[in-house]
Amino acid sequence: MRSARTLLATSLLLCTAGCGVYALPAGATTQAQVLRQDWMVFTLAGLFVAVVVFGLILFPLFVWRRRSNDYPVQFSQNSKLELIYTIIPLLMVIALFAVTYRDEIIVEHLGAHPANTVDVLAFQWSWRFHYVGTAINIVGMPNAPPQLVLPVDETTRINLTSSDVNHEFWVPAFLFKRDAIAGVKNSFDLRPIRVGVYLGRCAEFCGFDHALMTFTVRVVSQADYARWLRAGGSSIVLSSEGATL
Amino acid sequence: MSRAITTAPSSLAHHGIIEWLTSTDHKHVGILYMCTGIFYFLVAGLLALVIRAQLSQPEMTLVGPHQYAQIFTLHGTAMIFLFVVPFALGLANFLIPLQIGAPDMAFPRLNAFTYWLFFFAGLTIFSGALVNGGAAATGWYAYAPLSEISVSTGGGQDLWIVGLLMSSISGILTAVNFITTIFLYRAPGMTMWRLPIFTWEMVATSLLILMAFPSLAAVLAMLFIDRHFGGKFFDATAGGNPVLYQHLFWFFGHPEVYIMILPFFGVISEIIPVFSRKPIFGYTGLVLSAFAIAGLSMGVWAHHMFTTGVVTNAFFAAVSFLIAVPTGVKFFNWVGTMWRGSIVFTTPMLFAIGFMLNFLIGGITGVMVASPPIDFQAKDSYFLVSHFHYVLGGGSLFAIFGAIYFWFPKVFGKMLSERLGMSCFWLLFIGFNTTFFVMQFLGVMGMPRRIYTYPALPGWGTLNLIASIGSLIMAVGVLVFVWDVVTASLSRKHAPDDPWGGYSLEWWTTSPPPEYNFTSLPPIRSERPVFDAKHPELVRSGNS
Ligand code: HEM
Ligand SMILES: [Cu+2]
Ligand SMILES: [Cu+2]
Repeated sequence: MRSARTLLATSLLLCTAGCGVYALPAGATTQAQVLRQDWMVFTLAGLFVAVVVFGLILFPLFVWRRRSNDYPVQFSQNSKLELIYTIIPLLMVIALFAVTYRDEIIVEHLGAHPANTVDVLAFQWSWRFHYVGTAINIVGMPNAPPQLVLPVDETTRINLTSSDVNHEFWVPAFLFKRDAIAGVKNSFDLRPIRVGVYLGRCAEFCGFDHALMTFTVRVVSQADYARWLRAGGSSIVLSSEGATL
Repeated sequence: MSRAITTAPSSLAHHGIIEWLTSTDHKHVGILYMCTGIFYFLVAGLLALVIRAQLSQPEMTLVGPHQYAQIFTLHGTAMIFLFVVPFALGLANFLIPLQIGAPDMAFPRLNAFTYWLFFFAGLTIFSGALVNGGAAATGWYAYAPLSEISVSTGGGQDLWIVGLLMSSISGILTAVNFITTIFLYRAPGMTMWRLPIFTWEMVATSLLILMAFPSLAAVLAMLFIDRHFGGKFFDATAGGNPVLYQHLFWFFGHPEVYIMILPFFGVISEIIPVFSRKPIFGYTGLVLSAFAIAGLSMGVWAHHMFTTGVVTNAFFAAVSFLIAVPTGVKFFNWVGTMWRGSIVFTTPMLFAIGFMLNFLIGGITGVMVASPPIDFQAKDSYFLVSHFHYVLGGGSLFAIFGAIYFWFPKVFGKMLSERLGMSCFWLLFIGFNTTFFVMQFLGVMGMPRRIYTYPALPGWGTLNLIASIGSLIMAVGVLVFVWDVVTASLSRKHAPDDPWGGYSLEWWTTSPPPEYNFTSLPPIRSERPVFDAKHPELVRSGNS
């Protein structure tokens, strides 16, 4: 069973290696599951285009090298063919747009009643996580990254902004990032599906310590989360399940 | 000296230094642009090597965070504003009058003025490295509020702003000059529909410059007002808006990427037919697609802002996808040109083929990041660094090398070595793909751009080391090129007037061309008058 899984995984890995999906994190939220599909669709479409067009470019190079000094037939147009190769790509991008449009709506959908709400403030060069409705405030420093604690299988609303320059909230395992801009409140929902610790970071260059503006996201069971809230955000109460991913 | 020139018309190279500095001849101005551009390419390339050295392993300490920020800012700024764009403008300066059968540009003195404005723009930007606090360190798009005086206190940022303002004014004036020249100075018989594709692409490029550069000038002026005259354009605490900066910048910044590629679509459209020994396939389609790309590119700027949460992502994604269609048309037309041709593998042709292969990857990853759900992961990561280097490095840079190998004999009357040229091509091609292909994986795994250090996460060290090794291979390729140029310049062998069997009018005149370009012109009945004159038995009917 396990080896069959590995085999499947490796073959998937190989067939998609061409365009970067091979290293795509598994996707640790319900939203990320949707985003992953987009990567799959676009990668396969991209591979298809790559194979066809690489073929079209390379084929003449092997077949029609100069063999004599005679000039070949000097043809220069074929309107029907040109129309065809305008329309086919047009249909392809319309299809890709349909996929994009559908998935973006799902991913950006804001639920009516999120179970929890966290106000995230980005500043030079760390983060503050404020759990709305509680007194919990987690503030980090460049060399002491803060930890965002989220319950599994529950929707958490993030309200994101910045108190100085532009920053960007990115958790690669969630396949998602969003800008933190002074004067703009950006809201999005996260619904983690796997317990574990995930690395997060600032993705928009924000000056001197941008590279160190990291944080971690710790996804815990709902029972743990409730205990953690009652303990006022003390992580001692969390059981130690889940590895850093 | 100048009197001697009139009696010996083809001795461009014998001008003294004063003549070079005061010349308004479009060929001199073009050469100055291109050589200055190549100089900045070498400088920015060295900076890239420092970047790759610093990133070759986790936790390296070759340079610190502040130096690193200056280095990537100067690398990006120089590659874009001091290399690719000026090289394109220089090549166009050299070629447009020749290709349309004119003696010079419409406004020769304005032309020389734009070069010198650009020359001092470059010095201004780099002089930031000498002032207190160092050069600008906010990246090539210098987002406010990071670039505001409260955060970026040093004079380097101001010098960057002023330098770019100068270069944007220079660009606008050059575009006016190109359009006037092409519309009004064509030789008898050279109708618009007989213009070589390169010249057509420069019409589209010039229109884009006229639409986009004013927005750059505006945003830079606003930033300067914010910094020194108490403006609050981008200060959210005083009612300003940081997002406005992004709108204004990208309203320029996206068309800018087409300003950096359309001229090179033109270059490729000149090289491929000559070495396929056939006319260009789908001339009309190529011209229309250039204008389709230019038009659409004015409506996609906010695809750089998908994660701001304040723009209509669907609209900008849709228009961005549409650009793939005219771009695809160009590719198929190039394939159609090679189809059933008689292909000659010269160095320029190799670079044109390398251009197509690399640019295709840039185009495919471009459609990917034009999809907001994918951009949510790819943006500001090494996936994006890979994408835009496939466009600018694998695309524009390869076309620039192709252009140099193709037109060097015409410009300087000397042949570059085919043997060295091919080694240069293979080193660059292999080095380039080694460097930038692995970056896609790094980006997807979560490595952001513009970080001077990274932790030893699984795979990161190895992939980064591969990228750094690739950049060294590229560096060797560039050295081979420099060696080739030096030996060719010193050689006494003269290049023939038409070494490749060229099509457009520049191949009719001497190498290098005399002061007023032509002593005679062939009849112009199609977009390849020189070919028609030399092979009357093969002249096509139609398409003229
Ligand atoms: C010759 C080999 C080159 C190498 C090895 C190289 C390497 C790099 C690297 C590693 C970065 C990312 C730095 C970071 O984000 O921390 C970068 C950024 C950049 N490169 Fe290159 N590059 C090369 C050529 C070019 C060329 C030819 C162009 C354009 C024509 C170019 C334009 C840029 C730009 C615009 C940036 C972004 C700078 C910024 O973030 O503000 N590069 N380069
Ligand atoms: Cu940052
Ligand atoms: Cu863009």
